[in-house]
Amino acid sequence: MILLTMVARVADGLPLAASIQEDEQSGRDLQQYQSQAKQLCRKLNAQSPDRCTLEAGDMNFHYLIAQGVCYLSLCEASFPKKMAFAYLEDLHNEFYDQYGRRVPTVTRPYSFIEFDTYIQKMKKSYVDSRARRNLGSINTELQDVQRIMVANIEEVLQRGEALSGVTKLCQSPVRP
Amino acid sequence: MEYLHRGTEEHFQQPSLLCSLMIRKPFLFLFNQPPGGPGPAQLSPSLAAMSLQSSTPEALRVVNLLQERNLLPPTPVPAPTPCLPQDLQKINCNPEVFRCTLTSIPQTQSLLNKAKMPLGLLLHPFKDLSQLPVVTSSTIVRCRSCRTYINPFVSFLDQRRWKCNLCYRVNDVPEEFMYNPVSRSYGEPHKRPEVQNATIEFIAPSEYMLRPPQPAVYLFVLDVSHNAVETGYLNVFCQSLLDNINALPGDSRTKVGFITFDSTIHFYNLQEGLSQPQMLIVSDIEDIFLPTPDSLLVNLNECKELVQDLLKSLPTLFGKTMETQSALGSALQAAFKLLSPTGGRMSVFQTQLPNLGVGALQSREDPNQRASAKDIQHLSPATDFYKKLALDCSGQQVAVDLFLLSAQYCDLASLGCISRYSAGSVYYYPSYHHQHSPAQVERFQKDLKRYLTRKIGFEAVMRIRCTKGLSIHTFHGNFFVRSTDLLSLPNVNPDAGFAVQMSIEDNLDDMQVVSFQAALLYTSSKGERRIRVHTLCLPVVSSLSDIFSGADVQAMTGLLACMAVDRSVTASLSDARDAMTNAAIDSLTSYRQSVLTIQQPGLLAPACLRLFPLYILALLKQKAFRTGTSTRLDDRVFAMCQLKYQPLFYAMLMIHPALYRVDDLTDEGALNINERTIPQPRVLQLSVEKLSREGAFLMDTGTVMYLWIGRNCHPNFLTQVLGVPNYAAVPENLYLLPELDTAESQRTRAFVGWLRDQRPFYPSLHVIRDESQLKANFMQNMIEDRTASALSYYEFLLHLQQQISK
Repeated sequence: MILLTMVARVADGLPLAASIQEDEQSGRDLQQYQSQAKQLCRKLNAQSPDRCTLEAGDMNFHYLIAQGVCYLSLCEASFPKKMAFAYLEDLHNEFYDQYGRRVPTVTRPYSFIEFDTYIQKMKKSYVDSRARRNLGSINTELQDVQRIMVANIEEVLQRGEALSGVTKLCQSPVRP
Repeated sequence: MEYLHRGTEEHFQQPSLLCSLMIRKPFLFLFNQPPGGPGPAQLSPSLAAMSLQSSTPEALRVVNLLQERNLLPPTPVPAPTPCLPQDLQKINCNPEVFRCTLTSIPQTQSLLNKAKMPLGLLLHPFKDLSQLPVVTSSTIVRCRSCRTYINPFVSFLDQRRWKCNLCYRVNDVPEEFMYNPVSRSYGEPHKRPEVQNATIEFIAPSEYMLRPPQPAVYLFVLDVSHNAVETGYLNVFCQSLLDNINALPGDSRTKVGFITFDSTIHFYNLQEGLSQPQMLIVSDIEDIFLPTPDSLLVNLNECKELVQDLLKSLPTLFGKTMETQSALGSALQAAFKLLSPTGGRMSVFQTQLPNLGVGALQSREDPNQRASAKDIQHLSPATDFYKKLALDCSGQQVAVDLFLLSAQYCDLASLGCISRYSAGSVYYYPSYHHQHSPAQVERFQKDLKRYLTRKIGFEAVMRIRCTKGLSIHTFHGNFFVRSTDLLSLPNVNPDAGFAVQMSIEDNLDDMQVVSFQAALLYTSSKGERRIRVHTLCLPVVSSLSDIFSGADVQAMTGLLACMAVDRSVTASLSDARDAMTNAAIDSLTSYRQSVLTIQQPGLLAPACLRLFPLYILALLKQKAFRTGTSTRLDDRVFAMCQLKYQPLFYAMLMIHPALYRVDDLTDEGALNINERTIPQPRVLQLSVEKLSREGAFLMDTGTVMYLWIGRNCHPNFLTQVLGVPNYAAVPENLYLLPELDTAESQRTRAFVGWLRDQRPFYPSLHVIRDESQLKANFMQNMIEDRTASALSYYEFLLHLQQQISK
């Protein structure tokens, strides 16, 4: 299950698009994870590994950086890494195609929020059980997932381990 | 814009620069300037706290209400101008957006208590504006301690430091703010647009979002019982949505969905790829569930054809239904489940009392009590089901709008809660029927068009702050108050008004001015997070006469109406009526005792309050509060809802309709707008004295207009405007003006059209003769006249005088 997907500009962590699992069933309080996702995007920079998995309790954050854009997803720990990264790769291809040129110029958060529609479709195709079996014969050219770095999200956010660059943590949204 | 000076006016009304910047309507009275340039009222006081000079300003001119018969100005009453130095007042907030009952704030609570006038603010924060400065900035400058947004009324200690006008904290000017992108200059932070505009909008950075901006999601919940089909509303609704499907505010993410219901709930699978919409029926209304996880709310762009197919087939789908039951509660629960993951707007269309399942209501109106002279029962909800559900909706950013189209009692007092606490709005079409009430049908169509296409904001919150010493204690409007002063608004729409009451906790000594700021954080229909900020500045005064001279009689009336609605529900209607009368008595008593220097006989009021007793009487005779005249309970409750929800301008039309003579319209004093000549007849007093059998009169009550034709009306009017040869030929149910190619017809239609253009909802028109059934409705608005159950205006004045002299 993919619960959260975020696309952000690496240079300054500006959110470009996002999708949160819309499901009464999953009903989790994703607030905390959202906050971690935002913080994480801010911490990333050119020195960060371009593929990484971060453990967060019984969930995993997986991210992929390509062309100055970070694609981040929050998945259940049982969700296969291979699929997670194939998903992020697919997102990157489509996103870059549609919006890649404009990424350096935008200033408003979520300037490409309309990408959400595509993210949801993509998510469905990866999560739907029949599709999962089909995608089992996944793109074998996909980078060997063994080589993807694994770390712990808390440590990364607090101590900046494995990811360089420290930015101010935003604990909760600002009062209007 | 140009207009012809009207020689008959007392004041020369000049639209200001602020007017042309902010207001789309070209003619709006903002500032009240006496002829011949600035007069005593305009003398900018060097210290606002100082009492006004010896010459009495116009606002305090003593009026003996018993003698002065022509109180109404010929044109709509303008908002009073706060007595501030010109450079401050020039950039002050538009009174159409932000208005205070007292434009001169008392220095202490005891002074306010002595004045015996209510202190409060009336806001229309999301009003459609023709010009709105929008700022995209990496830093939004706010006070470090109270979080007020920087505004035109802060003070700069030097270039690098600014002092908050609400808490007086000194803040640093951030480096980025030193640069002015408009003038491309550096070092003049006070020239930035945030400090030059009292109304401004910011593009919000991501810290202002709890989640990524939601898409526009519209869910329509439709009553399809036999009764509903009978009314024929479904045809109008479906056609209206089809016509406006491409104009729904949103972007490529916009989603729509439909639920219909009678004794069961029906969902519609509109998944892309289906050859036609698929209806799914859930009959277990006690434990409602969604029959399929996806495709009940679909992307509008991708599934448009299916949506259109559904809308074309819905009216006939239920054409033969014999279902009489209505499980509204379950339908609402289902709709809530569908919308809660994303938030959005629920539009509910109901044509009868819900009588099945959760939230079922009883017909508790006693028709024999409609004309009760005593208290009215059943003004409060019969069940907390709707309020509870509304609060749940609010928590998930879902607002519920209710369209009530019914000939029978529907217990709006209970149903209305679903909108009230979820920041929705209520629309009411009593006795709606596609054949029997064509005027209602027209109104429904026009209202729907506005409703579907108007601007909308999602997942919004609003906070109102005021200068230290002042505090807000009661809120009026449709919303949920979260954490003392944060208003939760799942939807915000441009037609909603709000009001708050304030008290003075600490003396405002040493303050010359105080400020108020309303900040509205919302997501636009295109997924942009924005903050709209309005700031109002008002002088502080220490004398009662100054307080009186700054009184805003319409704002006071509007706020009292809100307070009276609350009092009617929590205490009783008679309590509320007494309280309103006492408001007039107390304020005039205070004036007489503490401000009036020379005691004179009569009922004396300052000019600025001369309309107060008239407005109070109007409230006492308003549908919401009247007794002794047959009033349907739902009509009454709806009037109460409107008094709390409508922005002041429209509320005043409800309370004190405008009456004009229209059979003798001329071009003298007319406005010239877009090359059309709009006549400007005088506003008349609401008394049959002002009617004439020889004339035709238009009464504008906001949502309804009546064109009353006198028995001996000049044949010219009948032929040239109504297209009939004589009085007897005027049709019984005429609800529109024929488009005749005569000068009189053009003038009349131009005038009526101009009145209609000034408001976002559509007033229906009824042409009535003396024998018409609607004559009673028309006559009920003749506030100044005596009736079987209520005093005339003059008698009311005498009553007040008697109470004051005690």
